[in-house]
Amino acid sequence: MEKNMPLGTSKEEFIRGIQEVLGKKERRPVESYQRLRESLADLEERLKVMWERLEGMRSQLLGALVETAAKMGWNVHRASSIEEALSYIRGLMESKGVKRVVRSDQEIFAALPLDQPLAHMDIRVTVMAQNLAGTPEELREEAASADIGITGVDYAIAETGSVVVIPRQGLSRLVSLLPSIHLAILQPHQVLESLEDIFLLRRQAYLQDGDMGSYMNFITGPSRTADIEQTIVIGVHGPKEAHMLILE
Amino acid sequence: MCHVKTQDFKKASKKAVKDPKLQATLKRVMHHFDDARRDAIEEVTPQRWEELRQQGRKIKEHTLDNLDYYLEMLSERVSQAGGVVHFARDAKEATSIVAELVRSRSVKTVVKSKSMVSEEINLNHVLADIGVEALETDLGEYIIQLSEEAPFHIIAPAMHKTKEDVSDLFSKKLGTPHIERIDDLAAVARQSLREKFLKAEMGITGANFLVAETGTLVIVTNEGNGRLCTSAPRIHVAISGMEKIVPSLEDLPVFLRLLPRAATGQRITSYVSFINGPRRPQDEDGPEEFHLIITDNGRSRLLRDPELREALYCIRCGACLNICPIYRNVGGHAYGWVYPGPIGAVVSPIMVGLNKAKDLPNASSLCGACRDVCPIKIDIPHMLLNLRSKLMESPDPQERKRSLEDRVFAWAFLTLMHSPRMLALGHALGRILQRPFLRSGRIRRIPIPPFSVWTKSRDLPPLAKKSFHRIWEEELSQEE
Repeated sequence: MEKNMPLGTSKEEFIRGIQEVLGKKERRPVESYQRLRESLADLEERLKVMWERLEGMRSQLLGALVETAAKMGWNVHRASSIEEALSYIRGLMESKGVKRVVRSDQEIFAALPLDQPLAHMDIRVTVMAQNLAGTPEELREEAASADIGITGVDYAIAETGSVVVIPRQGLSRLVSLLPSIHLAILQPHQVLESLEDIFLLRRQAYLQDGDMGSYMNFITGPSRTADIEQTIVIGVHGPKEAHMLILE
Repeated sequence: MCHVKTQDFKKASKKAVKDPKLQATLKRVMHHFDDARRDAIEEVTPQRWEELRQQGRKIKEHTLDNLDYYLEMLSERVSQAGGVVHFARDAKEATSIVAELVRSRSVKTVVKSKSMVSEEINLNHVLADIGVEALETDLGEYIIQLSEEAPFHIIAPAMHKTKEDVSDLFSKKLGTPHIERIDDLAAVARQSLREKFLKAEMGITGANFLVAETGTLVIVTNEGNGRLCTSAPRIHVAISGMEKIVPSLEDLPVFLRLLPRAATGQRITSYVSFINGPRRPQDEDGPEEFHLIITDNGRSRLLRDPELREALYCIRCGACLNICPIYRNVGGHAYGWVYPGPIGAVVSPIMVGLNKAKDLPNASSLCGACRDVCPIKIDIPHMLLNLRSKLMESPDPQERKRSLEDRVFAWAFLTLMHSPRMLALGHALGRILQRPFLRSGRIRRIPIPPFSVWTKSRDLPPLAKKSFHRIWEEELSQEE
């Protein structure tokens, strides 16, 4: 059986069936959807306006993010220098008894070099990147037994108190998921205002490249459930703790 | 696990109402979600909420009216991203697609994230039959899989279970000791499922939204199992109803604001995951294969009927369940299939057959609370009335069949209301017949059924000496 052969009813038959059910003469909508009439140029124009708006409200956005993120279950820490950030990280490692760390391979770690300081604390740091540290199986093993996963973020959303992580080379899907603690490090210029902003960005990326990557996550606080007696339990299959470090 | 038991609704709901443990649990937990929803709406302000509802409905209306167009776009874009799109007209086709994928890829273990469609098609049973270990990973689904029950509620499938129930269940099925704290019960699930996530060859999920423009699958979760099912196994299969489509990525903010608030009162869930086909070659991890199975399974029947089409706007928040006085008293199992509550009373009869579920459209006082809380403004009472008249006008005598009681009362009502003289005669007769039952000027108890049931917990005022009609004729219409 050819690997990518669709199974079931043929696409044409299924969709034609739906067209009949709807009693439509033509496939296209009579009135086309406004959003879908936009061109790449239109989106880029809107993005320009968006970035200008965000530039003008940086500290406000940061304040809103911090407030909402805390409400949504993040442990939020603001650091106004590299030293402060490193000291915070060292303190976190100590208080949680961390022995093994996995981290992504992202630009933020060039700005905030933590491999050496952690090595000095006898903490093993593995970079979850195949070109640097090992086979997928080995990396997965490492992530499954690590105490904490540290990543940068692509964006943060003030409206919801979320970080946006877009897995790709150097950024594994599992590094922020398998360990029971996730530390997300972000910088003020990454903060967006609302859900509209992030989807405009991703839409532009899609229209430009015809591809926006395989995956994206909004992460808002630790994992949780209320499935037993409607009582909220923090920490189910995903991390039990979510820490946000803002490097200002 | 979803055999059709909709025909037992009357019996099952009678049993539920008499079950003291169930009633106590319902009383204790039922209001949580609804209270949370109210608080969340207060927070965004009711005006803003109303705006969102209207926007959401508009998007769904346009999309469903042009479902063929958007299905085509979605299918193209998912394929461009490297995914394979399969179309399944019914449950049998859907399960055989999964079975074939499982067989041809030598899959032994499947981890499943929440999918109501998979319950419609009885997927777990089919997989078990072919020797595949298929584990539910959503905590509530995990619990009812172990206890072999149907889901009790769309959002919280194990809502009817106390923590003692769960502890006993885990002891029985997993060999764990008695566990007192709910945290520790969740930890048991985390522990026992973690290795399965990492060893399973296939993850099966549902879909909350499908974005046509970019071919994106959106999954809205809290527990992290949705992320694990779509990140760890080498094959990801998503099964979705065909109605989950929205046109553009920029349509998502409206729904991401409506769904979490209406369902659990959250501003947003812990995770929202967006999937565009399988991993790219340069990704560190992620599935090598992505399959999307788009399912009809009776939805085209709802689509075809302009009066019922809006049932497909449903985003599965469960708000209508939480507010419904019927659901709050009988719970989810009485409805006998995958979808309970008000929305279930509409879609189950159409999907399993009106003649198998004819009590469901009548399981309503038409109070309209469901319509008021629905984030997409679905007019459920309107559809229930429509189903009732479909039943009455059905060519099938089984569907038309009503109880003797119903028919007697319908006849009496028609006769009395047919002519003013009949009504006046009925009134006069009633004033005589009521006399033996009057106590201190009120009718407290009439021992003859069905009056006996009506007067068990309420008193009735007596029929007045003169009807308003007479008072009007004799006094009020006179000019001073």
